[in-house]
Amino acid sequence: MAQQDDFAPTVALADERAAAAAQALDIRFTGSGSEYFRIWIVNLLLTLVTLTLYAPFARARRIAYFQNNTLVGGDPLGFHADPWKMFRGYLLVLLLGVGYWAVSNFLPHLAWIALLVFMVLWPALWRASLQFRLRNTSWRGVRLSFAGDLKGAYLSMLPFFLPALAFVLFLPAVTEGEEMAPEVARRSGIVIGSVVLLFTALMPWLLARIKRYQHGGYVFAQQRTQLDTGTGRFYGLFLKTGGVSLLVGLVGAALVALVLFVLARGMFGDLAAGQRRALVALVVPVALGVIYLLIPLVSAPYFGARFQDLLWNGTRSDKVRFGSALRFRSLFRVTLVNWLLIVVTLGLYWPFAKVRTARLKLEAMSLAVDGPVDDWLASAQQAGKGVLGDAAGDFFGMDMGL
Amino acid sequence: MGAAPASLHSQWFDGQSPRPRAVTLRVEAGELLMQAGEDTRRYPLARVRWPERRTHGQRQAELPDGGLIQHADAAAWDAWAQASGLQDSAVVGWMQSWRAALVALAGSVVFLGAAWLWGVPWLSQTLAHQVPDSLDRHVGQQSLQQLDRLFLRPSALPQKRQDELRQRFKSLVDRAYPQGDAPHWELAFHASPVLGANAFALPGGYMVMTDELVELLHDQPDALVGVLAHELGHVEHRDGLDMVVRASLISALVGVVLGDASGFLATVPATLATQAYSRDTERRADAHAARLMHAGGVPPAAMAVFFERMLVEADKDSSPQDEEDRVSLPIAIGSHPDHLERIRFFREWRPEDSR
Repeated sequence: MAQQDDFAPTVALADERAAAAAQALDIRFTGSGSEYFRIWIVNLLLTLVTLTLYAPFARARRIAYFQNNTLVGGDPLGFHADPWKMFRGYLLVLLLGVGYWAVSNFLPHLAWIALLVFMVLWPALWRASLQFRLRNTSWRGVRLSFAGDLKGAYLSMLPFFLPALAFVLFLPAVTEGEEMAPEVARRSGIVIGSVVLLFTALMPWLLARIKRYQHGGYVFAQQRTQLDTGTGRFYGLFLKTGGVSLLVGLVGAALVALVLFVLARGMFGDLAAGQRRALVALVVPVALGVIYLLIPLVSAPYFGARFQDLLWNGTRSDKVRFGSALRFRSLFRVTLVNWLLIVVTLGLYWPFAKVRTARLKLEAMSLAVDGPVDDWLASAQQAGKGVLGDAAGDFFGMDMGL
Repeated sequence: MGAAPASLHSQWFDGQSPRPRAVTLRVEAGELLMQAGEDTRRYPLARVRWPERRTHGQRQAELPDGGLIQHADAAAWDAWAQASGLQDSAVVGWMQSWRAALVALAGSVVFLGAAWLWGVPWLSQTLAHQVPDSLDRHVGQQSLQQLDRLFLRPSALPQKRQDELRQRFKSLVDRAYPQGDAPHWELAFHASPVLGANAFALPGGYMVMTDELVELLHDQPDALVGVLAHELGHVEHRDGLDMVVRASLISALVGVVLGDASGFLATVPATLATQAYSRDTERRADAHAARLMHAGGVPPAAMAVFFERMLVEADKDSSPQDEEDRVSLPIAIGSHPDHLERIRFFREWRPEDSR
C-alpha cells in the first residue's frame, strides 16, 4: 500500500535536519477506513453493553488512532491520556449533564439556577479539556500544552450565555393562569426579537474572540501561537455563508416547484382546483425538506472549508507558521459522497466517512518552521519544566472534544 | 523462542529533546531493557504503556519516566513484540479480526434493536413511575401554564355544563375503580381556536378538554367520557413524563452510535422514534379507555363517533391556509391522524381482548 511510504521520512529527515533555514513540514494522514470501521464497531458494542461507561476508553482509542496516524514531517502525533482519568472526567460531565437535563425538564422554574451553574462551570471545564488534550499530545516525545488563562476562558465564553440571561432578566413575568395582555406580549416580542438580532450581529465577533483565545494558547516547546485573523474577516465569512445558504435555498425551492408542476401536468393533464390546491400544499413541505437537506450538504462544507483556512492561515508563533489550503470544492465532493454512501449502507459507512474527511482536512494543512527544528526545540526545552508537566495533576481527565 | 531474546533497533525520545536517539530493545525476565549507547535502562513490562496493534500507523511505547519509543515499521515491531512474548489485549485482537468485528456489528444491531423494543420503553416507564407525585404534579402545572399562555383561552361553557360532564366522568371512574385506586385527575375546560376540537393530559393528572370538542360531541356524552377515559389512560401510565424520558434516551443512544455527530443528524432518528413511540402510547391509552368504559358501563363503541366526527372536521377544513393555523400538539388526542384504524378498534373491542 501507499501508506508504507509514509514511514520512510522519519529516517530520511535525520540527514536534512541541520540543512534548511526555513523548513516545511508536510502533514500526512495514514488512517484507513476499514481499520477504523473495526475499531468503531467494537468500541460501539462495548460502549452499548456497558451502558456508555466504556465511552471514555473508546474515545481514548479513537483519538489515539487519529493522532498516531497524523504524521507531521514524518513523525506521528502521540496521544497519552490515561483512560481512567478520562473516565473520571466522563462521570463528572455525565453527572452535570443528567442534573441539567433533570432540572430543565422537571423543574423548569429552577432552570435559571442550572443555567447559572452551567455558566460558572463551563468555561473552566472547557479550558481544562483543552489543557488535558494538549498536554496528552506529543510530537517527537515532547508534549504540547495549552497556556490560555482562566480569565480569558471566561471572558471569551461567557458572552455566549448572554441571550439566555437576557431572556431570564428582561422577559416580563406572566402571572399564572392569566391571559397574556397584548402589551406584555408585544414587549416579549420586542425583547426576543432584539436579543436574537443583536446576538446574530455579534456572533462572528464572539466566535473570533473564542478562536483567538483557543488558537492563542497552543504551546509547543515554548513557542506559543497566536491568531492574527482580524474580526472583519470573520464577518466576511459569515456574510458569504449566509449568501451561499440563501442562494442554495432559493435555487432548491425553485427546482422543486418546477419539477412538481411539470410532473403533475404530465400525469393528470389539466388540474382540477382541488388537485391544484393539494399540489400547493405538497410543494411547501417538499421544498422545505430539500432545503433542509441542501443546507448541511452545501453550506456546512462551504463554511467548514473556509473557516479552517481562515483559522489556520492566521495561526502562528515566532518560529512556526500554520497554513491551510482546504478548498470548498473538495470538501463538498467528499461530503456528498460520504452522505450518499452513509444512506446506502444504512450508516455503516460512517467510520469510513470520518477517515476520509479527516484525511482531506489534515492533508490540506501545512506547517513551516524557522531553522532546524531540533535546535530551537532542544534549547527551548531546557528551560521548560518536567516532562509530564502538570499532566499528573489532573485528577479528572477533562476531554469534551475541541 | 527459547533462543536468545529477540532484539529490535528502534528510536527513543527522552521527552525533553525532540532529537531521536538510536536504541536497542530487548525483553528479559519481565523487564524491558533499553540500550542507548553505553547506557542501559530497565523498565518493568507492566509499567510500560504498550501500543495497540493496528495495521496502520507507527508504534509508540510510553516509558514510565516520560520517554517515548517510536517505531516507524509497524510490522517489524509487531514481529518483535510477538517474539518477546508480549500479549495483545483481547479487545485489540478483536479489532484486528474482520470476523470478530462483524460479530460485534451483529451484537450492536441486536442490542440496539432490543433497546428500542424493550429497553427504552421499560426504562422510561420505570423512571417515570419513580418520579414522586409532587414532582409529577409540579411538572404538569408548569406545562399547563405554558400551554395556557400559548394556546388556551378561558372556557365559554356554562359552569353547569362543565360540572355535569365532570360528574359524569367521575361516576365512570368510580365504577371502573371500585377500590378507589384511580390516579389523581383534574379536569379543566378551555376554549382553543388553535387546537380545535381536542383534549390532552399532562403529568400530574391535569386533563384539558376544549370547548370545541364539547361542541362537536354535544349530543354524545358517552364519547366525551370516552375521550376523558383515554386521557386518564395517559395519566395512569404517566405518558407525559415517559415521553420526555424516552426522547432523551433515544437522543443519548443516537449520540453513542454516531459519536460526535452533528445535531442535525441526531434530531432525525429522535423525532422518528418519538413519533413511533407516541403511536404506541396512543394505542395503549385507547385500550385503557375501552376497558374503563366497559367497566363503567359505557359501550366503548361510543368512541367511534368521536373519530368519525374528527374525520369530517378534517375534511371540512383541509384548505392549506387553515392547516397552517392549526397546531398539532403531539400529546393531544385529535392530533393523531389514524382515525380509521381507531374507529375499527373501538367498534370491534370485546371485553375478552383485555385479558
